[in-house]
Amino acid sequence: MMSDWSHGIVLAASILSWIIVGLGTAQTVVYLLQLLIAGYALSQRPPVARSALLWHRYSDVAPPIALIVPAYNEELNVVESVHSMLALEYPNFEVIVVNDGSRDGTLERLVEGFRLVKFHRPYEDALEHQPVRGLYSSPMNERLIVIDKQNGGKADAQNAGINVCRAPIFCVIDGDSILEPDALMRAAQPFIDDPERTIAVGGTIRIANGSRIESGRVREVGLPKNLLPLFQVIEYLRSFLMARLAWSRINTLMLVSGAFGVFLRAEVVAVGGFTRGSMGEDLDLVIKLHRHMLDKGRKYRIQFIPEPVCWTEAPESLAVLGRQRSRWQRGALECFFRYRSMLFNPRYGRVGFLGFGHMLIVDVLGPIAEVLGYILIPAFCLLGILSFQYLLAFTALIFVYGVCVSVCSLILEEAELQRFPRASHLVVLTVAAVIENFGYRQLNNFWRVKGWWQYLRADQNWGEMTRTGLSEKAK
Amino acid sequence: MLWLIWSISVFLSIGSIMVMLLLILRRALTGRRAEANAHARQHLLRALISFSQSRDRETLKKAILAEPADVALDAGFEFLALLRGDEHDDVITIFNECGLPVHVGAQLRKSNEAVRIHAAEMLAALRSANAVADLLSALDNDRSREVRIAAAIGLCDLGALPPLVITLRKIGVAGQRSRRLIELFKRFPQQRISELRDYAARADTVPFVKAAAIDALARTGDPQLGGFFCRAARDAAPDVAASAVRALGRIGHPDASVILAEAMASSDWAVRSDAAEAAGRLGLPAFIAPLASLLDDDAWTVRHAAAKAMRAIGPNGERALREIASNQSSRSQRTASLVLSEGPAV
Repeated sequence: MMSDWSHGIVLAASILSWIIVGLGTAQTVVYLLQLLIAGYALSQRPPVARSALLWHRYSDVAPPIALIVPAYNEELNVVESVHSMLALEYPNFEVIVVNDGSRDGTLERLVEGFRLVKFHRPYEDALEHQPVRGLYSSPMNERLIVIDKQNGGKADAQNAGINVCRAPIFCVIDGDSILEPDALMRAAQPFIDDPERTIAVGGTIRIANGSRIESGRVREVGLPKNLLPLFQVIEYLRSFLMARLAWSRINTLMLVSGAFGVFLRAEVVAVGGFTRGSMGEDLDLVIKLHRHMLDKGRKYRIQFIPEPVCWTEAPESLAVLGRQRSRWQRGALECFFRYRSMLFNPRYGRVGFLGFGHMLIVDVLGPIAEVLGYILIPAFCLLGILSFQYLLAFTALIFVYGVCVSVCSLILEEAELQRFPRASHLVVLTVAAVIENFGYRQLNNFWRVKGWWQYLRADQNWGEMTRTGLSEKAK
Repeated sequence: MLWLIWSISVFLSIGSIMVMLLLILRRALTGRRAEANAHARQHLLRALISFSQSRDRETLKKAILAEPADVALDAGFEFLALLRGDEHDDVITIFNECGLPVHVGAQLRKSNEAVRIHAAEMLAALRSANAVADLLSALDNDRSREVRIAAAIGLCDLGALPPLVITLRKIGVAGQRSRRLIELFKRFPQQRISELRDYAARADTVPFVKAAAIDALARTGDPQLGGFFCRAARDAAPDVAASAVRALGRIGHPDASVILAEAMASSDWAVRSDAAEAAGRLGLPAFIAPLASLLDDDAWTVRHAAAKAMRAIGPNGERALREIASNQSSRSQRTASLVLSEGPAV
């Protein structure tokens, strides 16, 4: 009887461990494939042309773009951010700042900073959003429009901006982010080269902590002094240069970041804009765009291009970072389950199989399997239920492959883009790419599991995202 | 299997770290070269600025020849864009005398895509003896459509563009979707404009190319093209019809009122919107009635364009718009009052 019990326990432990190792292996294979595709895509991309040349080449044919900037309690940075946006190098653009019912002095700072006056501008109520309290224009700069509306969240604010904008293409950007002067020109390039098929373009988001920032511009690229944002530098490289580039190459890009994405307005309106109240409104929108275009049987491209860069502030405290990561996880789960009918649905081709398959392995099952593995596999080995080989394989998948993937994304960066100015930066980043797998990665998975729990409890709280302000970092 | 996972992972991780170390080493070495190039570039820019004052050709020549050719080209081409008239021509002559175009020609043949595109632009700007031959060769043989388009634009600037049919065939079908074609057509020589019109009139021309050609033709303001635009406005492809109605709005035509009224009834909203805008530009009172009916259009863009066009027609249009705004609540009434209220709040 006892032997039956112990046999059963060993069998159950072996099956569970094989599931964990199997999911880990699947995740690793996905990452390695992404690396290969991203490496190929980068090697095929022509080296970057200087911005002066881009202007010379494209300024006459560049389509009008509206920059939509949702702002909630951004009084610290908003005037400087808007000044830097108005100084972007693009021939035909307007900046639409949406004050989403801020409780601080965001609107007052804008009114003072740009001598705003109320004005009427007819616009289409194509997308739903909270009531607009007023529109403002600036006699100082006719490119600037400010929408003051009741609070409704980021997606709601973006929808209001889309309604008011008149350009055929719009770019969403976070109010506290900094676009490089030529970022719009670079992001517009796919709309110039392939205007009939391109419906959305994403650019790279980079961490500004540690860089020298003056007058709303990144003057000198540096590295964060704290470990937490330093690890995020590696994470962002992995996410943008590896994952998004690879998915873009095979036209299965599932996410264009809400912190910097360019979209064709007509198509976004056709899918109902950003889903209000969504935790992952950017992911949600891109999935909707895929579904819409595939349902209509239309040829389209959703592209990621690495050159246009938007700088953002990374959280420097564990509490804020944890809230952010849990929210991202909830967003991914919400979108996955909302559009679950697309999973492995032949009607949606690559998006259904590869895009949703990736979400299933990496976002839905990945964190649970990994956290379970941390607890169960060492425990089983210590209790003598499983052999040491299981622990070795699990360690390989989590730590050793992790180092490989992190370092390889750094290799992609250095081999093709070289945005870090000094060799010493690369040394620091290489060390960070190794050690982030020992502690930081585990913490991240804990936050993601927490996100799972919050999702199951239908917790819709965004949590406070405390920022110190990018301009402060310059001082 | 479990051992295999471990072994491969260790192998890949050590391999990736080794590659990264090599890249760091490479960076340390290339960093010095980049610094030297930046220094050379500054030196050359100073020489170019001095030349603007002294016009001392020999000193500038010496400065150019003292630096690597690619650095000289890099700094020189950007500086050239700031110059006009004799000074511009003098600097080009000096660049040619220093043999820089030969280096650009080599770049056009051998470098990566971004450099090849830039080389095509530089060759056209330098107007050297080898420019036309090199650009023709790039148009014929280059594997990148963007380089072929850049070569065509360069040839256009040099007045040596092959017949349009041949040029577009060489650019290829994929290249015929790029907005860069608009740039090419905009630079099309005035004396060959009939060639562009004939190409746009062909039944087998890609709609995107046709639309781009019509936009370029409209910029010439040639009233003789009116008849062609009227025919194109009835094209089945919405892109073509839209560009033709825009063109009619620019240059006008005796039949424009009939054609634009037809276009305002098109099933494509972009055509209706462009037709309304064109009507506003022409400002004929005959358009008031069809524009008023568009105030109830399903598409906001069309309603907005129609209301703005009515305002643009002048006192009659504005009066009609105010009348509609004072009517009972309807979509037309709302559109009219919204557009009338545009401007500073009171």
